[in-house]
Amino acid sequence: MPRKVDAVPKQPDLDARLRLYIYRFFNQHERAPSVATMAEGMSHPLRSVRAALERLSQTHAFVLQENGELWRAAPFSAVPTAFPVKIGRRSYYGNCIWDALGIPVMLKQDARVEASCGCCNFAMPLRVKDGQLLPREGLGHFAVPAAQWYQDIVFT
Amino acid sequence: MLLFRSEQHVDRWCRQWNRPRGGVLSLDQVWSLATEWYGDRLNPAWSPKTAAEAQSAFARIGLVADFWKLSP
Repeated sequence: MPRKVDAVPKQPDLDARLRLYIYRFFNQHERAPSVATMAEGMSHPLRSVRAALERLSQTHAFVLQENGELWRAAPFSAVPTAFPVKIGRRSYYGNCIWDALGIPVMLKQDARVEASCGCCNFAMPLRVKDGQLLPREGLGHFAVPAAQWYQDIVFT
Repeated sequence: MLLFRSEQHVDRWCRQWNRPRGGVLSLDQVWSLATEWYGDRLNPAWSPKTAAEAQSAFARIGLVADFWKLSP
């Protein structure tokens, strides 16, 4: 389960670089970097990287697991979900249909989202091509009002 | 947010989970949310939307009911 974090002082430069490092790692390796990989890849002490992750988690775009590793770097999920996204030969997971579509938007790539109906698992594959969504049949549903999204990010 | 085939499937899911019906969006609106939220995510100067910015983005997409209000 994702965990809550306490307020920690800001370090804008490190935080911004770590944020981009994580996204680039996801893009290239199709998975989340471990915290140890982040520290090694950025040549920063583990302690500094952990603190930066805590700060990034305050944006809600990043969520950590109880063990301190990444659970979510929106739109990417660090764990398998029901929203797999294929871009060329690469595979990713979105956290929800919003994030699954956000992956090709962020990477500016054509993609196939192997989505299915949340009720009955009926296959509803979606394609993104040349910056457009094809087809556009289906509905999105938020179970939780917007003001409460981050009180239960999993169920949202 | 989950994807559904139809309004009937949304309602069935809500019954299965014993939840009230939440906020329903067209797929065009879901796509617009994705482009609004993630189009600039790799910009080194990116910062999270403020509540006011997010509320404006919802309004541009047509999400204006109470369900979409970020503050009371």
